[in-house]
Amino acid sequence: MNLKKIMDEVYEIDLVNASDEELMEINKEMGLALSLEEMKKMQAFFRSLGRNPTDLEIHAIAQGWSEHCSYKSSKPVLRKYIFGIESKEAMIVMQDDAGVVEFDENYAYVFKIESHNHPSAVEPYGGAATGVGGIIRDVLNMGAKPIALVDPLFFAPPDYGEKLNPGIKHPRYLLNGVVAGIRDYGNRVGIPTVAGITYFHEDYVNNILVNAGCLGIVRKDKIVRSRVDKEGVKLVMVGGRTGRDGIHGVNFASKILDEKSEEEKQAVQLGNPILKEPLIHLVLEANEMGIIYGMKDLGGGGLGSVVGEMCHAGGVGAEIHLDQVLLKEKDMAPWEIWVSESQERMLLAVEEENIDKLQDLCKKWDVEMSVIGETKNDENLRIFWKGRKILDMPLEFVTAGVEYERKYKTKRMKKMQEILPEPKYREVFLRLLSSYNIASKEWIIRQYDHEVQGRTVVKPMQGLIGYETHGDAAVIKPLHHSWKGLAVTTVANPHIAKINPYYGSLYTVDEAVRNLVSVGAKPHAFSDGLNFGNPEEEEIMGEFVESCKGLGDAARALGIPYVSGNVSFYNEAFGKNIPPTVVLMAIGIVNDIRKAVTADFKREGNTIYLVGETKEEMGGSEYYRIMDAKSTVVPKVDLEETKNRSEEILKAMDESLVESCHDVSNGGLAVALAEMALGGSIGAEIDLSSLGAMRDDFKLFSESPTRWVCEVREENSEEFEEIVKSKRIGVVGGETLKIRDGERWLFNVHLNIMRERWKNALKEYIG
Amino acid sequence: MLKLVVVVKFKEGIDDPEGKSITHSLNLLGFENVKRVNVAKQYEIFVDADISKGREIGEKIVKKLLVNPVIHDYELRVEEI
Amino acid sequence: MKVAILQMEGTNCEEESYIAFKESGFEPEYLHINLLKKGMLENYDMIFVPGGFSSGDYVRAGAIFAARLKAKVWKDLKRFVEEGKPVMGVCNGFQVLIELGLLPGTDGISEEPEAALATNESNRFECRWVYLKKFSDTIFSKHVGDKITLPVAHAEGRFLADKKTIEKIEEQNQVVFRYIAPDGSRPDYPWNPNGSVNDIAALVNSYGNVFGIMPHPERAFFWYQHPDWNRVKRERGDGWQIFNSLFREIIEAKNR
Repeated sequence: MNLKKIMDEVYEIDLVNASDEELMEINKEMGLALSLEEMKKMQAFFRSLGRNPTDLEIHAIAQGWSEHCSYKSSKPVLRKYIFGIESKEAMIVMQDDAGVVEFDENYAYVFKIESHNHPSAVEPYGGAATGVGGIIRDVLNMGAKPIALVDPLFFAPPDYGEKLNPGIKHPRYLLNGVVAGIRDYGNRVGIPTVAGITYFHEDYVNNILVNAGCLGIVRKDKIVRSRVDKEGVKLVMVGGRTGRDGIHGVNFASKILDEKSEEEKQAVQLGNPILKEPLIHLVLEANEMGIIYGMKDLGGGGLGSVVGEMCHAGGVGAEIHLDQVLLKEKDMAPWEIWVSESQERMLLAVEEENIDKLQDLCKKWDVEMSVIGETKNDENLRIFWKGRKILDMPLEFVTAGVEYERKYKTKRMKKMQEILPEPKYREVFLRLLSSYNIASKEWIIRQYDHEVQGRTVVKPMQGLIGYETHGDAAVIKPLHHSWKGLAVTTVANPHIAKINPYYGSLYTVDEAVRNLVSVGAKPHAFSDGLNFGNPEEEEIMGEFVESCKGLGDAARALGIPYVSGNVSFYNEAFGKNIPPTVVLMAIGIVNDIRKAVTADFKREGNTIYLVGETKEEMGGSEYYRIMDAKSTVVPKVDLEETKNRSEEILKAMDESLVESCHDVSNGGLAVALAEMALGGSIGAEIDLSSLGAMRDDFKLFSESPTRWVCEVREENSEEFEEIVKSKRIGVVGGETLKIRDGERWLFNVHLNIMRERWKNALKEYIG
Repeated sequence: MLKLVVVVKFKEGIDDPEGKSITHSLNLLGFENVKRVNVAKQYEIFVDADISKGREIGEKIVKKLLVNPVIHDYELRVEEI
Repeated sequence: MKVAILQMEGTNCEEESYIAFKESGFEPEYLHINLLKKGMLENYDMIFVPGGFSSGDYVRAGAIFAARLKAKVWKDLKRFVEEGKPVMGVCNGFQVLIELGLLPGTDGISEEPEAALATNESNRFECRWVYLKKFSDTIFSKHVGDKITLPVAHAEGRFLADKKTIEKIEEQNQVVFRYIAPDGSRPDYPWNPNGSVNDIAALVNSYGNVFGIMPHPERAFFWYQHPDWNRVKRERGDGWQIFNSLFREIIEAKNR
């Protein structure tokens, strides 16, 4: 690599005269993670300018073109399937850092889910904490007050016994580290963590997934855009200082993990919740005063991508003086400052006359700020360092980046379903209750403060105090003066998606709807977290395309928009890709929280109904997994049914006819009933004969979609039956869960035995 | 320049859940002969002062912030660097 | 009656506390420690230290907040307490009052902490609902029912003190609330969520005007904040009773 020092810490790189080989050498030495094609595009650009670039210019382009910033592999697919689902209430969709949707006449809610996978695999505690910190900023910079966090996590089983690849850490260590990271960050910033997933699958052994989502609330007239459309507006950095931590995080995120990843710890940033907490106050107060013209958080890509995207979106240029940036350590090169992903930083666009007011606020909250530049009336980005111009390029070239129509191949599995000899039902039932994907996650949930802010009116754990069960969704009451609520849930079904990504997506959308309806919420908007392997492999790209197609078809049919999202590719290590993992953060509207419903059985003598059809489709089910039985017959969703059943149940809830409600998912009907019984600490007697002619293991353990269990008072049962298409399957009461099919008893298990199995399965690993 | 090293640990007889939890984890990891783990916190404080004043400053810092005498013991070392 | 809700970086329960005071008939005001100056506390009738993670709970929960208050306004604070004005701390606020030496305050005010809120026996942060029984009538508890339920959310809540101090606390009837099992009996984990000595959840000083409580009354102020609201009908949350007690014992008493 030929370079020439042009001033302190700044070099000119000979790109114009480089051969292909030399281009890739530059790529490697500078850690750019670009392809030859991209390097050549860059070369052509500078040839057209007739000059060589500075190191800063090359880094800036590499940052802008990284998968993480440019979505170069995913954008064409997303545009085709995910974007543009019509919704009257969606206000800002897939443009800024988080989606904005109407809540009521005066308020909007803001939310997004994002991944923080690779850093968490290398340094679970810091990586997870930073993931939480980043997603909070995404919501905050829309001017919204963050009011809830969610965190879907994916690991190999905690008792994983195979030999680990070099540099790969044991899932148990990773699980504990990630939970501690989320706990210590989320609890400290004072935002309740109200929902999440802890999912186990062997294929995450080399590459765990840590997704984090945040929900906020904002008055409509206080929404801030991540853009500036006017010249002469000052660009101000607020919050943490800039350091060498997190340099090249985005390139790291777009790279495959290997044994060297451990050494790349500098790509993991360390968050500081105690800096974030006053930063939240400061930003919200400044916004209330109306002095923020535009705002964007510094996340993946650092200052470079933030300045670029903010100005490009508003159609202005910018002039930046990098020596004005406050640093953690001396002697940082300009390119390092430009791409650093140090945490707790925000870029505010503020008009000159308001700078003093911002300064006063910063003093009160003990937060540092620095004016680093201003917007200009042209298309170029210009960067100065100690008075000398060291970058001058059109923003369009750096920010709009590149895009690929990647080749893909759709894998079709042959349809087959193994039929097992009829099992011992009691034994299978108890094994399911203690299987890791079903067992109680209370050990994790209670380490997160889900009560702070006092807005959580339906909790993540629901039921009699001390006996709570997993709820389907939490409900937040965002406004003091209104009974209207927001339900929050997260869903993912990698086991099904691994067999068929298209149906996996349909099932996941259906489950999101199920969860929201269970608490009495009308499904309203989604944020999609798409986690996949290496998109350069055609089959992986095929999984991605099929997943997106499924997400699009399902949401379009139901009229629910995706308003924000995130794609994480390259979740691959040592030749193993993760299963296609579509995570949805779903928000529903609860018109009156006084009518919200929980999952726990309430009262002896109440009638139990099953809503929806049970079918012999066992592919991806927990039952087949623990029995080691094979099936590629995955559950199929009839979206018309999803729509009709949801509307019926919501109507019955609106008329206060439903005492408790729980969706049927992992482990099937038997597990759903058990969870309801455990939460209420009261048993039930069930007769499955109304489910029709089918073997009892299918009736008990099938995970067919669009099903709920509802508890109804006897005096309301007639009215309920008129509204909701359902089958009466039993009665609440006793201290055991008794299940029969007509004359034949399948099992009778005491609550204490069920609780013991369910509650203690994960205790040893996380307790 | 002085370096004050303060080690804060639990008083004898005060239950240390972190130490207990680490003991348990080590036992689970196969170190069955680990009987007890004590956890202490070490602060390294760099002070621009004369060595003769070191201990006095150190004691003040400890009393003002680092130790709750109900549960903690501490050691203070003063080094010149 | 003006209530100063103290803030510093990391306090995070100030908003729900503000609402609780406001709805109970007080005039709450936020007071950030960075803006706090000598003589300022005189303008208030009550001091409230809210929950959170002041300064990240680094060093020890509440220690930095306490040290900074001491450095800035220790004399004012002592005078405030000696004049009999109420001071209340919840969760991290309780930890701050202990670190200040205002609680347990068996002999008024002590210059050094007499007790500690140490790491939970479970060695982890836990957020759960607990049952409390009232053991002493004070201005903070007079109009509170015998048994209430409130949420805890902390990693350091295990009340510890030496034997003599504990004896004195008990002798002087300073324990305001203890954790109990749902049937009213002495609790095991998780009903005593942190392993507190004598199941102590809340204390008052010997003067009766400084009150610290580990569970969060401000998070159980409205009925719908309770986890069992669709099982148990309440007009208001159990935590409201504490704020209402204060209101009736101070504001109403003044007007009588």
